[in-house]
Amino acid sequence: MTTLPESRSEIHGPTRWGTGRSGVVLAGLMLALGIYLTVGIATMTVPTGAESPGPTFFPTILAVGCYVLAVLLVVHYLRHPEAPADIGGIDPLEDSFEGPFTDWRSLGLTMAGFLAFTLLLNPLGWILAAALMFWVIARAMGSTSAVKDVAVALLLSCTVQVAFSAGLGLNLPAGVLEGVL
Amino acid sequence: MESLDLLAGGFALAFTPMNLLWVFVGAFLGTAVGVLPGLGSSMAVALLLPVTFTLDPTAAFIMFAGVYFGGLFGDSTMAILVNTPGGSTAIASAFEGHRMTLNGRAPQALATAAIGAFIGGLVSCVIVVLFAPKLADLAINFGPPEYLALSVLAFIATASVVSSSVAKGMTSLFLGLGLAVIGIDGISGAQRFTFGAPQLFDGISIIVITVGVLALGEVFHVASRVRRTRPGQLHQVTGRPYLSRADVREAAPAWARGAGIGAPFGVIPVGGAEIPTFLAYGSERALDRRRPHPQFGKGAIRGLAAPEAAGNATAGTAIGALLAMGLPTSATAAIMLAAFRQYGLQPGPLLFDRSADLVWTLLASLFIALFVLLILNLPFAPMWAKLTKIPRHYLYAGIAVFCGLGVYATSAAVTDLLLVLGIGFVGFLLRRFDFPLAPIMIGVVLGPLAETSLRNALLSSGGDYNILVDSGISLTIYGALLLIIAFTLFQSLRSWKGRDV
Repeated sequence: MTTLPESRSEIHGPTRWGTGRSGVVLAGLMLALGIYLTVGIATMTVPTGAESPGPTFFPTILAVGCYVLAVLLVVHYLRHPEAPADIGGIDPLEDSFEGPFTDWRSLGLTMAGFLAFTLLLNPLGWILAAALMFWVIARAMGSTSAVKDVAVALLLSCTVQVAFSAGLGLNLPAGVLEGVL
Repeated sequence: MESLDLLAGGFALAFTPMNLLWVFVGAFLGTAVGVLPGLGSSMAVALLLPVTFTLDPTAAFIMFAGVYFGGLFGDSTMAILVNTPGGSTAIASAFEGHRMTLNGRAPQALATAAIGAFIGGLVSCVIVVLFAPKLADLAINFGPPEYLALSVLAFIATASVVSSSVAKGMTSLFLGLGLAVIGIDGISGAQRFTFGAPQLFDGISIIVITVGVLALGEVFHVASRVRRTRPGQLHQVTGRPYLSRADVREAAPAWARGAGIGAPFGVIPVGGAEIPTFLAYGSERALDRRRPHPQFGKGAIRGLAAPEAAGNATAGTAIGALLAMGLPTSATAAIMLAAFRQYGLQPGPLLFDRSADLVWTLLASLFIALFVLLILNLPFAPMWAKLTKIPRHYLYAGIAVFCGLGVYATSAAVTDLLLVLGIGFVGFLLRRFDFPLAPIMIGVVLGPLAETSLRNALLSSGGDYNILVDSGISLTIYGALLLIIAFTLFQSLRSWKGRDV
């Protein structure tokens, strides 16, 4: 029963006070959710005649729980700073890499790719928007052949368009290719 | 035997070419995502959920069941060949399984795993066929207080047992519960937490939440680590997986014990098959120490056989608990419950009455799926391992495209795409800081049931809280909860003590 592998490793390298304590952002998230629920409860128009316990009963429990958990998480990270969790099943390359744990450039590009897809889906249409997202994310994740990526991206988005529009009858926006399709 | 007659009827309905096709598609996809590290059956079901609404419910659930079992078949392949488990349920299999590979016994290891998963699944399916109708008969007496007790059991057990810290598990749970209260309140009709945005009147779609947390969050997490990790090295396998008579004799008791340990965990909501696989591994190791020639550490076939059987035994009884009581015990089961609701079906005792055809066709398909999976996995396991040659950047870029497709296909709303991006980022944060993900899914799916049960119980009793603990069934459920909490406390105390030594 003591065979569960250690999910977190010891913290290596130079440490500042903040090292391993960045998890308090989750406490911030819980605080934000608690405030969101509290404001929502305060401004809710409860229909007249709603019997007690009404629509605010359960959210009130949740809001209180969110505040308590925010405090508990702060306490947790103050007492036990943690090394970040790694992706299961993949060897880390810790020795050959310096810099912050999270690769914000890759992550930022990946999220920007999805955001661009969201905003361009209707104007550009599925084929171009999805291909663009695929291309950006593949680049962000370290692909080295930009031209090949364009081909793979367009192949995937066109296949999906054909399979879903023709096969399952889902309507995907055609966008600028409106007349062509 | 009434249930055997019903099962025979189910087989008759399941053996149509279309249903067999869906079994095969599910088993195929499940094995594929199981083999690929980082991808699991919960992500596969989340991505398939939007697409399946064009299918009829029976076909959809047959496919989901194939994916659920398939993920557990596939995840051991990589654990054995590369020592990188395809999912958390295969960590226990990696210890001895990979050592067998290093000793040149990879074909035997793959065969042990596939047959173990098959036996575990088969045992649990038989249990489900025999006992699920009885469980449903018991559950028919459940009123709001009992359903509340069941939900609370699922909440606390998943949040406290799986996670490394209770605060983390509860945080994940409350995120799920919080997301679920947004939208119009079903009892009073009040608008809650929409702040006037019409897009939120119906609440945040379960598809947006599952795709965001389980699929897009994983894409973001891999992106954030992509230059610091590399996939493991694949060992070449020569020869087809097979077992000698001596191997079978060695593994057989471990298969049986593993299935026995795994089966009860399908009904206990501790977030899936991870815990039973470790229990099975641990008990085999303890038994091994007493033998004249301990095998553990040298590639013990029993150390692989038991967890594999336990994992699939859990999955089988989990489907039984889902059908008979509407109780999801893992993230995948929670998504399946959400899918039932999307079709207007409510898993639970009434499902056995009202949709008997669907239930028994689904159960018969589970048996068929197991045979299909055995065929897919036993001779072809080395071929599945070649899937890891797909470049990571294409794999995850493709998953992101399917996230966008799934969300847009169900709602055709750009706001849902923005929401999924935000929820995906929260999913990334939870992974980055090692928070468990199963509680968020259980919270989203069971939160509304818990709330309506609590309010209906209090409405009917006129605000008297005693009604919540008024029946023997609720008291039994709360008793089980106390046992689970005591067990967790005992475990953490023991590891705390062990640290000092």
